[in-house]
Amino acid sequence: MAERLNFNSDEETYVTKRRFRFRLYFAYGFVLLLFAFLAGRMVQLQWLNYDRYHGLAEGNRVSVETLPPTRGKIYDRNHILLADNQPVYAIKMVREKMEDIDAFKRELMVLLDNIPAQKIEDYFNKFKRWSRSRSYTLPFSITEEQAARLAVINYKHPGVTLDARLKRIYPNKSTAVHALGYVGRINSKELKNLDEQRYRGTQIIGKSGIERFYEDRLHGSPGIQQIETNARGRILRKLETLPAQPGEDIHLTIDIELQKFGEELFGKKRGGLVAIDPQNGEILAFVSMPTFDPNLFVDGIDQENYSRLLYDPNKPFINRVINGQYPPGSTIKPFVALGAIENNYISPQKKIWDPGYFDFAEHRYRDWKRTGHGHVDMNTAIVQSCDTYFYQLSLDMGVDAIHDTMSPFGFGKKTDIDIFGESTGILPSQQWKMATKGKPWYRGETIISSIGQGFNLTTPLQLAKATAVLANRGKVIQPHLLRDQLKNQPTEQVEIKNIANWDKVIQAMEDVMHGARGTARRHGKGLPFKMAGKTGTAQVFSLNEADYDADAIDKRLHDHSLFIGFAPVDNPRIAVAVIAENAGSGSATAAPMAVNLIKKYLTREQPQTDDK
Amino acid sequence: MKLEDTGPEQVYRRNKGLLESLHIDGWLLLGLLLLLATSIAVVYSASGGDEAVTSRHMIRIGIALTLMLIFAQIPPNLIYLFTPWLFFIGILMLVAVILVGDIGKGAQRWLDFGPVKFQPSELMKLVLPITVAWLFAHSQYPPSYQRLGMGALVIGFTASLIVVQPDLGTSLLIAMSGLFVLFFAGLPWKIIVAAIVGAVASAPIAWHFMHAYQKQRVLTFLNPESDPLGSGYHIIQSKIAIGSGGIEGKGFLGSTQAHLEFLPESTTDFIFSVLSEEFGLLGVVLLLALYAFVIARGLYIAAQAQDNFTRLIAASLTMTLFVYIFVNIGMVSGLLPVVGLPLPLVSYGGSSLVTLMISFGILMSIHTHKRLLTD
Repeated sequence: MAERLNFNSDEETYVTKRRFRFRLYFAYGFVLLLFAFLAGRMVQLQWLNYDRYHGLAEGNRVSVETLPPTRGKIYDRNHILLADNQPVYAIKMVREKMEDIDAFKRELMVLLDNIPAQKIEDYFNKFKRWSRSRSYTLPFSITEEQAARLAVINYKHPGVTLDARLKRIYPNKSTAVHALGYVGRINSKELKNLDEQRYRGTQIIGKSGIERFYEDRLHGSPGIQQIETNARGRILRKLETLPAQPGEDIHLTIDIELQKFGEELFGKKRGGLVAIDPQNGEILAFVSMPTFDPNLFVDGIDQENYSRLLYDPNKPFINRVINGQYPPGSTIKPFVALGAIENNYISPQKKIWDPGYFDFAEHRYRDWKRTGHGHVDMNTAIVQSCDTYFYQLSLDMGVDAIHDTMSPFGFGKKTDIDIFGESTGILPSQQWKMATKGKPWYRGETIISSIGQGFNLTTPLQLAKATAVLANRGKVIQPHLLRDQLKNQPTEQVEIKNIANWDKVIQAMEDVMHGARGTARRHGKGLPFKMAGKTGTAQVFSLNEADYDADAIDKRLHDHSLFIGFAPVDNPRIAVAVIAENAGSGSATAAPMAVNLIKKYLTREQPQTDDK
Repeated sequence: MKLEDTGPEQVYRRNKGLLESLHIDGWLLLGLLLLLATSIAVVYSASGGDEAVTSRHMIRIGIALTLMLIFAQIPPNLIYLFTPWLFFIGILMLVAVILVGDIGKGAQRWLDFGPVKFQPSELMKLVLPITVAWLFAHSQYPPSYQRLGMGALVIGFTASLIVVQPDLGTSLLIAMSGLFVLFFAGLPWKIIVAAIVGAVASAPIAWHFMHAYQKQRVLTFLNPESDPLGSGYHIIQSKIAIGSGGIEGKGFLGSTQAHLEFLPESTTDFIFSVLSEEFGLLGVVLLLALYAFVIARGLYIAAQAQDNFTRLIAASLTMTLFVYIFVNIGMVSGLLPVVGLPLPLVSYGGSSLVTLMISFGILMSIHTHKRLLTD
């Protein structure tokens, strides 16, 4: 042993040991120095940068999800659902978190047996080329049962999540679509103006009608869900939740049964019908025909359906109630008459001779009745809708007086209904013509204005409002679709000098329905209540003729059929305006529609079908 | 004073304790047991409370402790006698690895002996410093340049066999253990300084010979955020784990980084991150203190060793342990590039633990097989 482990001499051993120990001390010093260095690094990470890393660790583990709010439901005045939310399911995938994309694809093909395998294959081929880190939603809607079955196997597939959300549904389909409007996917233009926080997680927004006007109330505000996840995105547990504030449920003034009935009355005809409760301005029916199904728009409408609707010659997208601008025709006669007797341009008893025409400045203006009405006073002029009476009267009044007498009823200005994009209509005056056409007023234009032709244009809504104000004997109401006590308050009062004048005009309108010579006497017969009305037949001067098919032009040149009315006369509860495009005379088409609607509303009886 | 003056009987008479008679160093054992206990706790936590993993780990610790005990019984003289043979066998196996090695993780590091897979480079971690110490057993101080040259040759040859596996990290660490022997044997300071200067200067050349993945690791180390989902991911998540532990830590089993699977290799290479997340700066300092204690004891044993051979082995093995600790902690805390290296005595894993415990057995043997207790 001694030979193997040879020790040096004592002296050398001592020197060697000393030098060796020096190197040991040196080495240990080096160890301590580097340990101190490591400890310093830990101080840096754990003490000085703690906040940052703590935040990063929390960020790692906690992902914040936005809980989009549930959109408020929309009901009609009788609490019948007009816009509801129904649960739908969607599959979301994030590629970078997925382990075996192909395995999941194969399982999907088995699971979603109602979807062609090729369609799934195609989608996955595209999906594999898209961003690794973004979440994509499969474009297939899946049933509740498929969703449940998928949830069972979902644990095997990190990166795949099942997204349940609520989809807007309009159970009454196309009914009242122009009032209700619809929701659709938020587009880039809307995105720019949106409150990003409030719309986080939300994909849809009100696009038109009530859905758009009351977007703010219907939308609600989102909540926040903190979720603990692991590195693969698997949700482990839910932490704090700040629940979403659901949107407000709102009630409309619409009576959906009446609305449906109103739409049925039109059949295939185009036009607008508005029924208002004259006591408070609540709109009972808001009919614009034809309609379309708003459900098509919720998830984004497909090109085929969209083209079909867009190029439909009947233009279903046009909201005729607020954007259809029609010559009001004879329906303005009660208003003109009222202005005339109020301001003493004529006495109600004064009779005018009507030979069937009216000559002015070498131009002959014809009455609708070629043979003439003979001696005509104000009552007869309204009841029989005598044009000549008004031709003559209007020359005495002048266009500005007609304007001033009609303006308080709301002609020529927006009603400020709670839908965006209302048209103004036209109530001509000398000033108006100079401002818009740059030309002076000609008296011949006054003559045709007096029977609601010429420049006059009105929307069905304006006409209905004016009718309601007339029924109220001057109490101006604010037409609105949302049931809201504030809106029910009368806004102002049309100036009245002599209340008896109102009675005279209204009496004449009652005689239109119930008098022996009334233009709508056929339809007023047998009504269990007293009704006032006025027919109108408007010549089509120009209603976007350029847009119409050449084939259809003939038909498009037929007269519009108009009617305004309210009932019961002594305590009006419903005022109606109907404009049926190219449907002939007011008494033939619009009057029975209005009468049936009023009758339905006041008696809740089934409509009589013998009226043509 | 001559060796023959004192017989073995006298030694045993003066050291009657149970530990002494088992050739165990009590202080070293205490340090090791504290570290191993920590290891069991952290492996349990890092594995997400996996009892199967933890009990497997405890069995390995038991095996490793037994091996330590066995090696503590082997007198240094015997090791000295067998050193050339061990080296020869080690080299043969390294060559065998190159020729027939099993492919594991893209590199040939393993020899497959049926039920046992063996990593010869693990054996060389022990054999190389012993071999170099053997060369300097009879050396004068300072050693001759011929001997230093021979030592360098042995180190370079062994390291180059491991580099080609390829396993740059292990080969550098093994070379380091050999170089420690040269240092403690009295390698002149001017050569040390010159070598450090030379190494720094030749770094660009080394870069040229590196594998692409090794280059990538270095680049990622320099800027981990450049590859947040690739290799930089590990370091970013590890730093988050450490940093979010704060001063007091999140408490035992409180590691969210590991439990939520953000931290890779949380029971092995990145176990320090779990420990520092759960026990915070205080826990880290305690761990470093424990390591410093074990290293101090190892160097003390080296200082007390009676001959060149044993003191060189003791000092080199102890310093190698330190290097492993430093490299692992430096790596997980983002100070050094990522190399696959466990945290000594704490990480889950068999082979490195066995090697370490054998080296502690050798240290204990060195300390307890002394003929003289005088200085």
